[in-house]
Amino acid sequence: MAAPSKPRAAFAPWDRRELPGAFTVEESAARVGHYKWIEMRLFEALGGWVATVPELDVKMRLGTHCYHHAWHAELWHKRLPELREMNPDRLAVPPNAELEAFVDAMTEPEAPELTIEKLVGVYRVLIPHKIAAYTYHLNNTSTITDAPTIRSLRFALQDELDDWRDGEMLIQSLIESADDVDRAIAHQAKLEKLMVAAGGIAGDGSIGSQPQLDEVSA
Amino acid sequence: MKRNLPAAELARDSRFSRVDFMERARDPRPMPSEGRGDRAALTPDRTNAPERARGLMHGIFTGEIQALEGAGRTCWDFPLGTGSDEAPFELKLDMARQCWDEARHCEISVKLGDWMGTEIGEFAESPFLYEAACNPDPVLRLTGVNRALEGLAIDVFNTMREFGRLSGDPVLTFCEDWMLADEVTHVKMGSDWLRRLTADDPDRRARALEFQRVVDKLFSLGGVRGEDEDSPIKLARRFRELAGFADEEIDEIAELSHQAREELRARRAAVG
Repeated sequence: MAAPSKPRAAFAPWDRRELPGAFTVEESAARVGHYKWIEMRLFEALGGWVATVPELDVKMRLGTHCYHHAWHAELWHKRLPELREMNPDRLAVPPNAELEAFVDAMTEPEAPELTIEKLVGVYRVLIPHKIAAYTYHLNNTSTITDAPTIRSLRFALQDELDDWRDGEMLIQSLIESADDVDRAIAHQAKLEKLMVAAGGIAGDGSIGSQPQLDEVSA
Repeated sequence: MKRNLPAAELARDSRFSRVDFMERARDPRPMPSEGRGDRAALTPDRTNAPERARGLMHGIFTGEIQALEGAGRTCWDFPLGTGSDEAPFELKLDMARQCWDEARHCEISVKLGDWMGTEIGEFAESPFLYEAACNPDPVLRLTGVNRALEGLAIDVFNTMREFGRLSGDPVLTFCEDWMLADEVTHVKMGSDWLRRLTADDPDRRARALEFQRVVDKLFSLGGVRGEDEDSPIKLARRFRELAGFADEEIDEIAELSHQAREELRARRAAVG
């Protein structure tokens, strides 16, 4: 073992983290506020739907996932004051009216015959968009200065990926005919259009912006 | 999706049969198949003990479904806030956590039903727990469901755990012990939220406690739950203390159960 008094580099040779990141404190806080808002809308909807789905396996799975998203909302709620936002409710808002319209449309199905629509809205539209926005944030924020957000993003992403798979498998098990396929696709298309209009769960720039080609070549 | 879903609209598959709880509760005839006519303690040496235990387990299962649904609806039904028709963010988080717990209890109950030889839908379902979760005031929901009915669940799980121990069933004992731990947490949630949300509103607290008394008496199941030696479901004092009940509150529940038992006896005597 090297002598304890021998100077060592502050960062181990394999630690290549860099200081710069794509987001300022305010930008990260704004995204986190939007995350809290959408996680709240999602856990409330899943909780409400539990009583409206007759399929026992779906009912129990929605109850489990309801808590996952509530816990994510709590993570973001606690992160906001650490990002200098002492009134977390101020930033826990949708990024635009289009995302509110998306949530209204996603939570509209209520009848017990509409389990496919309920699941498609969450697991084929919303959760894939959450995974995309969280991944973009994870990959581009400063790995040193914004490490607490990264930690929460990783916890949330693990749940999102697991729940996405659960939900997709439930959908596949419920789709038994060509008509069911048409129903699922039609509902997905309707909601996807609303999500595109919103620009994603954090609004425009949810997964970054494509640079112009002349910028790239420059 | 609308706010406040009535119990009649709870979604079930074709295996489930629903009956009105009040019809069952007021029916003076013994119903051995459900164990409700047998006022003796639930012990393995009784000839109908397996049937009674299976019926009770199925009742636990349907109760867990409704508890899941009730907690889920409390997440959805209320806007954020501290008014009597609003729910604070942290309360909704607790209810979401309860959703997960109740979903696990459903899973456990289905597997225990299999273990005990019961099929889903073999016994009827009364939506009484969910009905208590339809109160428009979230504090009354939590006192009615978390303190009264989840309190009853503490007594039931403790009884089933003891039945499992006496009958040498380690699977039943193990599962009931785990569910009992969760129920204590849920009852404590109800106690904590009652105190927090009514700290400056004595009238609201009084209404909530009165609602709890009504639910406690109604669902003492004609005195089946009590402290008598032959009470089929024993009042679990120690666990209720852990869940935030004061001694006098437990005494009151015991007295309500005793009253319910005497009233049932009187109704039976009148029928002859």
